[in-house]
Amino acid sequence: MVRRRCDGDRLMVDIDLSQLPFTLLDDIGRERVLRGVDLIYFDSDAVILEAGQPGEFVYIIHKGEVAEFDPHAPISQSRIAHYTAGDLFGAISILDGSSRYRFKVEQESLCYVIPRALFLRLCDDYSTFAEFFRRGLAQKTRLLAERRIESGVNMAGFMLARVSECMRAPLIVDAATTIAAAVSRLNESHADSLLVGKGGRFGVVTKTDLLNALVMEGATQARPVIAIAHFELVSTGPDQYLFEALVQMTRHQVARVVVVERDRLVGVVELTDVLSYFSSRSYMVGLELEQADTLEALARASARLPALVQGMMTQGIKLRFVMDLLAALNGRIVDKAFQFLVAPRCRAQSCLLVMGSEGRGEQILKTDQDNALIVADDSDWPDRAIVMQRFTETLHTLGYPLCPGNIMVSNPAWVDNESGWRRKITRWAERRDGASLMNLAIMLDARGVAGDTRLLERLREHLFANCSRDELLLSYLARAALHFAAPLTLFGTLRKPRHGIDIKKGGIFPIVHGVRTLALECRIGETSTSARLEVLVEQGRLESEFAADLGEALALFIELRLKQQLTHLDGRQNSEEPNLVVVQNLSSLERDLLRQALHIVKDFQQRLTHRFHLEY
Amino acid sequence: MIRSLRRTLDRRRQADGRHGWLFDPYTGDEMVAIDCETTGLDTRTAELVSIAAVRIKGERVLTSDSLDLRLQPPASLRGDSIKIHRMRGVDLEDGDALEAALEKFLDFVGNRPLLGWCIDYDLAVLDRQLRPLFAFGLPNVCIDMARLYLRELHRTQPQMSPTVDFESVAEALNVPVMGRHTALGDAVTTALMYIRLKKGALTAR
Repeated sequence: MVRRRCDGDRLMVDIDLSQLPFTLLDDIGRERVLRGVDLIYFDSDAVILEAGQPGEFVYIIHKGEVAEFDPHAPISQSRIAHYTAGDLFGAISILDGSSRYRFKVEQESLCYVIPRALFLRLCDDYSTFAEFFRRGLAQKTRLLAERRIESGVNMAGFMLARVSECMRAPLIVDAATTIAAAVSRLNESHADSLLVGKGGRFGVVTKTDLLNALVMEGATQARPVIAIAHFELVSTGPDQYLFEALVQMTRHQVARVVVVERDRLVGVVELTDVLSYFSSRSYMVGLELEQADTLEALARASARLPALVQGMMTQGIKLRFVMDLLAALNGRIVDKAFQFLVAPRCRAQSCLLVMGSEGRGEQILKTDQDNALIVADDSDWPDRAIVMQRFTETLHTLGYPLCPGNIMVSNPAWVDNESGWRRKITRWAERRDGASLMNLAIMLDARGVAGDTRLLERLREHLFANCSRDELLLSYLARAALHFAAPLTLFGTLRKPRHGIDIKKGGIFPIVHGVRTLALECRIGETSTSARLEVLVEQGRLESEFAADLGEALALFIELRLKQQLTHLDGRQNSEEPNLVVVQNLSSLERDLLRQALHIVKDFQQRLTHRFHLEY
Repeated sequence: MIRSLRRTLDRRRQADGRHGWLFDPYTGDEMVAIDCETTGLDTRTAELVSIAAVRIKGERVLTSDSLDLRLQPPASLRGDSIKIHRMRGVDLEDGDALEAALEKFLDFVGNRPLLGWCIDYDLAVLDRQLRPLFAFGLPNVCIDMARLYLRELHRTQPQMSPTVDFESVAEALNVPVMGRHTALGDAVTTALMYIRLKKGALTAR
């Protein structure tokens, strides 16, 4: 057929091809799309594509709203997704041969349609374009992140640097080296530390160690340096993010980590080197925390955390690393506060636990304080109740709101000695009522931040021994993860923009709780959801692809929630509901991701149903 | 009246000619929305600058298979009309010669009914160019979108005093205006208006 068009701006088809997936085509490909599309108008309530029907077109909505239904599900749960202007659907139906779901017009719609033949040809000619539609959520979010980085966020570039880019070659001396020789080696190579090898093991000697040995202990210069070396090294891999190395240093309170590749020592990362990469605030806050010697100083450092998070998020750093760093920093704050208030003797006899999102290391802004205390059976601590009351108040002044459920050490119910805790857990496991199940879930996420963490390890063993074989208890516990399926149905009916999807109930909770239940069953001591998922994959309980998708879905939900919280922080909005996400405010790619993430939650819930026999 | 007389006459003359099939009654379910950009507003002197046509099938506008013709610059292409359709002489340099363009146009529309915004104007210009070259005028059934809209509005909302310009009708029918003052853009918008109107956009409220 005759068609003549000179230049792009004369085409009257105005699809936005600057969005994914069309950015995966080149100009010629995009031109083919523009030339190949038709326009179709649909009335309200028309069914565009019936379940089981072969897909003829890929639809891009120009105007209007379309809903996706699962015709086999009960009516209350049948609504799966919602598409509005700029969204694309129907591609999967073409690739799969037929449509899995029914697409129905919610509001009269004008759609561009790419005919099946053209779409398939495009998929043949552009492999990345084709992949986009077959990809899992994990890969899609990576695309999104890559795009974010491309879009001129230059900070992200070196925040995402790998350890290998910043490590030094290790300075290794043999075991016979004297202090004098060591000092001259250090001076020659302008280093702050060296490694001493002995029998295949390595110890680190820092300038501070040398000074202390010479001045404080009066050692002679001829003494072998190995005597003052430290052999507990924190190690990392060359492919780890530099950021993770920083997290490790913060967590272990050391100034260097060694880099190990396949059991071979390949380098050292010094804190000062990391600093040249992160001239910015994350380290400064950490440093300020470490140096804080009064509660006021601690409060000042702690008040800077939200700004730090905001900064890191705008730099496009992956949420998991932000959460890790934040968990480490928060842990340090709580630990410090504990040190200020509790005498060393009592600290050695007790273990302070943080629980809930803090225990899982998944909180982003400061959340309510959820904490508890285990005291050794033989402890002698008369003014415990008063100290704990003060501790809760102190955390409050440090900016951690009080827990509305009163799960705090100021509440005597959450302070007990070891055997008392054991009895509690046994009782909860026997009762299996709502409150007991909740308490068990809370205990499962507990992480020791101060004191003697072996107390918690033993208690966790007891918990696993009591519960992980109890099928009935597990299925009671798992049921809660299915409880909040309903909010999903809101997805399609967002007529009023003030409604939203409750992503905490509909997304975060089912994943966190489901994974928690599986972790209990498999006796996984990790508390963070992503670490639990990793172990579940190792044990073969989940396919790695599905676990990765679950992890990404969770990260997406948390990120969306965080964005809302940050907006509230700026005072631009004054809503008490940070968990409600208004779909219309999202970009079409974000909507697409959210939709997929919710699909994954649904899949996961189905698996749980099957595994724990919750069909009725 | 005069038009139908002329058409009968044309059909007689063309009965055995190459274009005889154009006069056959149309039995399919398609229509063609057309639009022309010209050098002026006087049908007696205006020259064609571009012609566009797009087929309508049911609720579907077949933009992928549309006709967008640009003609060689006519002698009367002047500044004032360039301001409207933004086509300068250079834009038209590789355009079709008038006869070749009209041939393609006839091929494309066939004997389908035609739809246009104030189609009488386009028809008058097209016919004036067709007659000397092909010895007939467009025989197709023609529907004027503007008149159709007015009639429908009177029927459904007699109390309304209508504004019938292109943009406000598009807005009233909730149709996006695609590339205004390009022939193809206006043709597509007109096609969308037609589909919306047939779907009862006015009665629904």
